[in-house]
Amino acid sequence: MANHPTKKVKTDGESAQTMQSLLAKAIQPEYQWSDKDEFLDVVYWMRQIMGLVLGLVWGFIPMRGFIGLALFFVVNVAIVYLYYSSFQKVDEEEYGGASEILKEGLMTSFSSFLVAWIILYSALYS
Amino acid sequence: MLSDCILIVCISICTAFLGEGLTWVMVYRTDKYKKLKAEVEKQSKKLEKQRETETNDRTQKKKLERQEEKLKNNSRDLSLVKMKSMFAIGFAFTALLSMFNSIFDGRVVANLPFTPISLIQGISHRNLPGEDYTHCSFIFLYILCTMSIRQNIQKLLGLAPSRAASKQGTGFFTPPTQLGR
Repeated sequence: MANHPTKKVKTDGESAQTMQSLLAKAIQPEYQWSDKDEFLDVVYWMRQIMGLVLGLVWGFIPMRGFIGLALFFVVNVAIVYLYYSSFQKVDEEEYGGASEILKEGLMTSFSSFLVAWIILYSALYS
Repeated sequence: MLSDCILIVCISICTAFLGEGLTWVMVYRTDKYKKLKAEVEKQSKKLEKQRETETNDRTQKKKLERQEEKLKNNSRDLSLVKMKSMFAIGFAFTALLSMFNSIFDGRVVANLPFTPISLIQGISHRNLPGEDYTHCSFIFLYILCTMSIRQNIQKLLGLAPSRAASKQGTGFFTPPTQLGR
């Protein structure tokens, strides 16, 4: 288990370096998050990448209909849930309940997903 | 069709940067905004911490209420500072949008992999001929792109409002909440 409470990083004006250190912390299992915002940032960016990737995959398969939308939410929420409960093992109560973590950046991720899905689907299958 | 989509993504990236740039010139770089933002963030974090340690002490509750009132006033001022730039940008973007709308008028820019619900069809099939609701209009794709790109750009540039401040729900348009129930 890694316990390195490193310097407190401000969420404002994040530079590339901050991103790198955030990534290093994000892939460390059970990292002790000293700054709650940092963990939520990780969840946020993870969601954005996931939205984009899922959109591209759905467009490539191609997935059609509302099942695609529903499946996106299921996969997205499930991965975030597994990440924070099994991989990072954070106490969700510290963040104001599971819903706070689960809805972090969900809508933005959903719109990125839709854009990627629609564009790839139209490019390949119309 | 693909070129239209890419063009729309580029348009929304440009408008997002333009919007943020304009807001930076008009709001973010001003001392008043910086001061107010720092104040609101500090107070929100402090209040959040104090709320965690629940107390039945009356004087303590009064103190909390006073602090909350102060925070509310500050966030209201902050929203007011932002407001004038919002209006300017709103007008500029409405003009830009109507221009793009006329360029893409009646053009199918993409095919949706799903049929939107009737509520959304008004936007997704706007100004498009025919009854095929999987046809996507410019405005729908533009809105989606803006939703995802603008938020991410704000976040990357560190211009998004802090979580502590938004969690307190003390914006200009949020109804006041009662403390100490």
